[in-house]
Amino acid sequence: MSVAEARTAVRPRSSRIVPLLVFAITIALIVATPFLPNYYVRVVNSLLIYILLGIGLNIVIGYTGLLDLGFVAFYAVGAYTYALLASPQFDLHLPFLLILVIAACLGAITGILLGIPVLRLRGDYLAIVTLGFGEIIRIIINNLDWLTGGPQGIARLDKASILGLQIARPVDFFWLLLVVVVVAGVVAWRLEHSILGKAWAAIREDQDAARGVGINTTNAKLAAFATSATIGSIAGAIFGASQRFVSPESFTLQESVLIVLMIVVGGIGNILGIVAGAAILILLPEVLREFAEWRILFLGLLMIFLIIVRPAGIVPRSFGPEKLIRGLFGK
Amino acid sequence: MTLVFQSLRKEYGEVVAIDDVSTAFAPGMIHGVIGPNGAGKSTLINMTAGSYTVSSGSITLDGKRLDKLKKYQIANSGIARTYQNIRLFDQMTVIENLEVCFYPAEVAGTWKEVVWPPYATARRQRRREKCMEILRFFDLQGYAEVDAGGLPYGRQRMLEIARALICNPRVLLLDEPAAGLNHHETADLTAKLTALRSPDRIMIVVEHDMDLVMTLCDSIIVMHHGKLLFRGTPAEVQASADVQLAYLGTANDIDDIRAAAQDRRAQLGIRTRRRS
Repeated sequence: MSVAEARTAVRPRSSRIVPLLVFAITIALIVATPFLPNYYVRVVNSLLIYILLGIGLNIVIGYTGLLDLGFVAFYAVGAYTYALLASPQFDLHLPFLLILVIAACLGAITGILLGIPVLRLRGDYLAIVTLGFGEIIRIIINNLDWLTGGPQGIARLDKASILGLQIARPVDFFWLLLVVVVVAGVVAWRLEHSILGKAWAAIREDQDAARGVGINTTNAKLAAFATSATIGSIAGAIFGASQRFVSPESFTLQESVLIVLMIVVGGIGNILGIVAGAAILILLPEVLREFAEWRILFLGLLMIFLIIVRPAGIVPRSFGPEKLIRGLFGK
Repeated sequence: MTLVFQSLRKEYGEVVAIDDVSTAFAPGMIHGVIGPNGAGKSTLINMTAGSYTVSSGSITLDGKRLDKLKKYQIANSGIARTYQNIRLFDQMTVIENLEVCFYPAEVAGTWKEVVWPPYATARRQRRREKCMEILRFFDLQGYAEVDAGGLPYGRQRMLEIARALICNPRVLLLDEPAAGLNHHETADLTAKLTALRSPDRIMIVVEHDMDLVMTLCDSIIVMHHGKLLFRGTPAEVQASADVQLAYLGTANDIDDIRAAAQDRRAQLGIRTRRRS
């Protein structure tokens, strides 16, 4: 999506055309993907995984206003949960769906474990501590050889299957990811509009005043960390199953930063923004693959350009999914 | 139902901000708290609402200790407040600023809201009806979907009071509600606050606008250097030599107290527009 298109996306007078266009492109992409060569399907899958991660992280950053730079830790927890429970490592071969549930629970627990010590922190301090947390998890994985295989990682993970249906080809993962992304997106969006979501927004706006209206900010924040980590962990488990190999290299600080960047570029607190941000930051490097050594430069220039023309992100907070749907039906 | 301060004390290191204050506030009345700068008026409000801790002494409502509770628990015990410097949730709409106050009562149903849309819609509608009622009382119904941060100053003050009222508090603490309002807005505020007087509500107003305090309040306490200097009806306060001395050192006229209040506003950088 070009920036020019994105700009028109927010003009109220084009409220009918833009939703139809977005809808058409989405449908076209979904219909076309299964017929594309595997390489392109993998690119789309990676896009979907990043959208899923963005949806998760956005709960903490966008809704609750807490800058978390260690999100990749939860992604790692999910991936390693799959790797340990479905591989020759300990000769455990649990079914994929069960592992997804376990990964979700472990994600939530890790989220709360991270949440408790950082409850009092905000802004830069929180960012630094969460960054440290992300690195701690990665370094633990890197050094706990007997459990995680250390830097070599864990290979030969089981093929995933759901109720006897094998999920092995990229296109299978495409359908799985599509379903998971849509479900996660709907849940996150409905959470945003629930009473808990309003409390998150109040914490983001003024934490002390939020306490003053009776909000238990501790619980509300832990709920945000837990839901966010759950989604991150599920994304990790699916990633593990699709790669059938995990190693600490996939969970570096750079990944965390990339997800934050997606949210910031796309539009903080808006699921549509995450999709736009992911599309730019994941697809652009693929498009520019031929200019490998120039890619980072292009990305840097794009960042500068976007910060100048759209400092609040490509899609503003006010243009949420509900506007898109309403526009679609011409209401 | 009464709100009781017992030997209340607040220290910041060497400085004693509140020194042995004992008093009680009865429901059905509007209580004014006045005093010169640094007398400890806002500190009293902040301690009652749990924004500041209490150094020693106690605050009880209906015999229940408040000072050991966390701030959100105090709010959930029926204490609501406004702030000297307006603190709204700026990037939330006016009605959302009120809706969020239903969090303590409704958070348990969050997952049901997520998975069962009709439940969420019904609950949201009920919530919004209550909010609109309060908004109408404060003439804010036309602004319901506007971001709170974009409201004119006077409307923001009103919204803050609306937010404090939405959960029907037993104690309403207002920290300088008229600061920065023009005469017209102040008169409007006076009328609204008078209408909010209720037999099961304790209202406490910290204010520098003496006209407002004298017309609105049934009972006034005067703070001076962290101590409770005087307590009485508006007429008694105006007649008290002690009070005048505290405010002005030497003066003998309520007009001078008003002048002092004007000075205070100037210090705060608040311009009071004259009626045209």
